[in-house]
Amino acid sequence: MSIVDLEAKIPNNVGLRENKRLMMALEKWQPKFLDWWANMGPSDFNQDQVYLRTAIGVGQGGWAHFDYVKMPDYRWGIFLADGPDDRKIHFGDNVGEKAWPEVPGEFRNRLRRLIVTQGDTEPASVEQQRMLGHCCPSLYDLRSLFQVNVEEGRHLWAMVYLLQTHFGADGRDEAEAMLERHSGDQDNPRILQAFNYPVNNWLDFFCFTAFMDRDGKYQLASLAESSFDPLARTTQFMLAEEAYHLQTGENGVGRIVKRTGEIMAEGKDPRTVGAIPLDVIQRYVNFWFTGSMDLFGGEDSTNAAEAFAMGLKGRYRESDGIYKDPKALNANYSLEMPTEDGKIEKKDIPLRRAMNAVLLDAYIADCKRIVERWNRDLDKLGVHQHIQLPDHKFNRHQGVYAGFRFNPAGEIIDEATWTKHHTDWLPTQADRDYVQSCMVHVTEPGKFANYIAPPPQGVNNQPIEFEYVKFH
Amino acid sequence: MTNRLCYVCEGGDCTEKGSGDIFDKLRDLVREFDPNEERIKIRRYPCFGACEQGINVTLYPDKVFYSKVTEADLPEIAAHIAGKGEAVQRLTGKCEPDVEQIIWDMLDSPY
Ligand code: FES
Ligand SMILES: [Fe+2]
Ligand SMILES: [Fe+2]
Repeated sequence: MSIVDLEAKIPNNVGLRENKRLMMALEKWQPKFLDWWANMGPSDFNQDQVYLRTAIGVGQGGWAHFDYVKMPDYRWGIFLADGPDDRKIHFGDNVGEKAWPEVPGEFRNRLRRLIVTQGDTEPASVEQQRMLGHCCPSLYDLRSLFQVNVEEGRHLWAMVYLLQTHFGADGRDEAEAMLERHSGDQDNPRILQAFNYPVNNWLDFFCFTAFMDRDGKYQLASLAESSFDPLARTTQFMLAEEAYHLQTGENGVGRIVKRTGEIMAEGKDPRTVGAIPLDVIQRYVNFWFTGSMDLFGGEDSTNAAEAFAMGLKGRYRESDGIYKDPKALNANYSLEMPTEDGKIEKKDIPLRRAMNAVLLDAYIADCKRIVERWNRDLDKLGVHQHIQLPDHKFNRHQGVYAGFRFNPAGEIIDEATWTKHHTDWLPTQADRDYVQSCMVHVTEPGKFANYIAPPPQGVNNQPIEFEYVKFH
Repeated sequence: MTNRLCYVCEGGDCTEKGSGDIFDKLRDLVREFDPNEERIKIRRYPCFGACEQGINVTLYPDKVFYSKVTEADLPEIAAHIAGKGEAVQRLTGKCEPDVEQIIWDMLDSPY
């Protein structure tokens, strides 16, 4: 078991006190991070007391602590999951060899790129969400937003720790650059496009956490299998926090759907009472779900094949042993490919090249599950209009379906049909304006905006009407 | 190493109902006869989507989906895992078949 040092300037279980060089490097980066938080984070709320969970160790069960804290005083720490000292590589070309405690020279650039790309998303989402606190549907939800935000900040710390520890001067530069790129910045944007989209309202936020954070979970899960042991253990611990983000999104969209269902069941039009109609919710789901699929990278990718072969990125839950062949050499993946003459053909590609597609499949199954969960609530209310998950080919900008037009059912269509119907499928300006008009600011404990149902229970066994945020 | 798996849900609803304890206790029971995970691996799983029927525990490749699991059920579940008894029928078939199918589809990945 690792020793947790909570007294240190930077709480950690990586023995920072014994590594003076690293400690100095991180302590030098810390004020820059705090500056970034003050300028680019949810800065208008920095003086308020928020009831937050803070990671304080990695043991199962008792790893977190709840209390009121001002966000700038949050104890962002560095925690790696405990693991066996003799961990073995369990997939790719080097199955059975000892996992690497240090970065092998030949994989240095590739690993750096993986870590930087992951790391960049963490502060990006905080920047995207920084104004949402001004129109929160409840104190309960405001707390959730800030919880997600501070933990994304910690995830940035996690990635910066790896960069500073294992990548020398390059790593230092990358750590600085993480704070210099900004979401939506014309000159210096965030690396992945979806992290430059604005997140202006709470339907965006919940869709974002339901779908984009879920993408994050699958990316982290594939890194958690990595042969580079510090990366595997860092991401394993991040997954524990990430679970809360996904749930915030899954439950948040679910509560909006449920509220709309309740109003429909009363025979009222959601638009007359400040709630969000199902067709609008559907278009938001379409937008964020398809945007999140683009983050998985090309379905047919030599890059993905190499990352798997080298043992850098594994499949989802690879270490559980649910896959037939840990080297993935003897199978093909059947990929739907659009053809020039407007048809879909199945094409077999070597499994290794399809690693992004395999991860995406696991992700889509997970998304199916959450949508079915929302629909069960509608059924219970006697509302038989449902939310549907669009086909994976619809509205894609990356991968083999980019450049083709599909409808949400996954049928290939021509440009004219797309032009005529895309406003039925993706949020329009009128939708955005309407959703914005629903964003009333509710801060009385236990009260909720009319577009969202209350959660079934509060946080950490507190009642729903608990004062989750105390304004200064 | 075995590929037989037991997943205990650690999603929000199941955790709220005490799945953390269920995980620990089931693991302890199974360790008594399988200390080195030679027969089965017990792992946590993020959420099966059958939250209302929680606490949910699944066995794979057996494809047994247990719902509303309580501490009192654990010795029987462990006995079944040890090969000394049938699957605990009273805990199965409680969640919607399509929800169950999604999880098997995921684990059944042909790759
Ligand atoms: S929380 Fe256990 S099935 Fe969803
Ligand atoms: Fe994160
Ligand atoms: Fe997250």
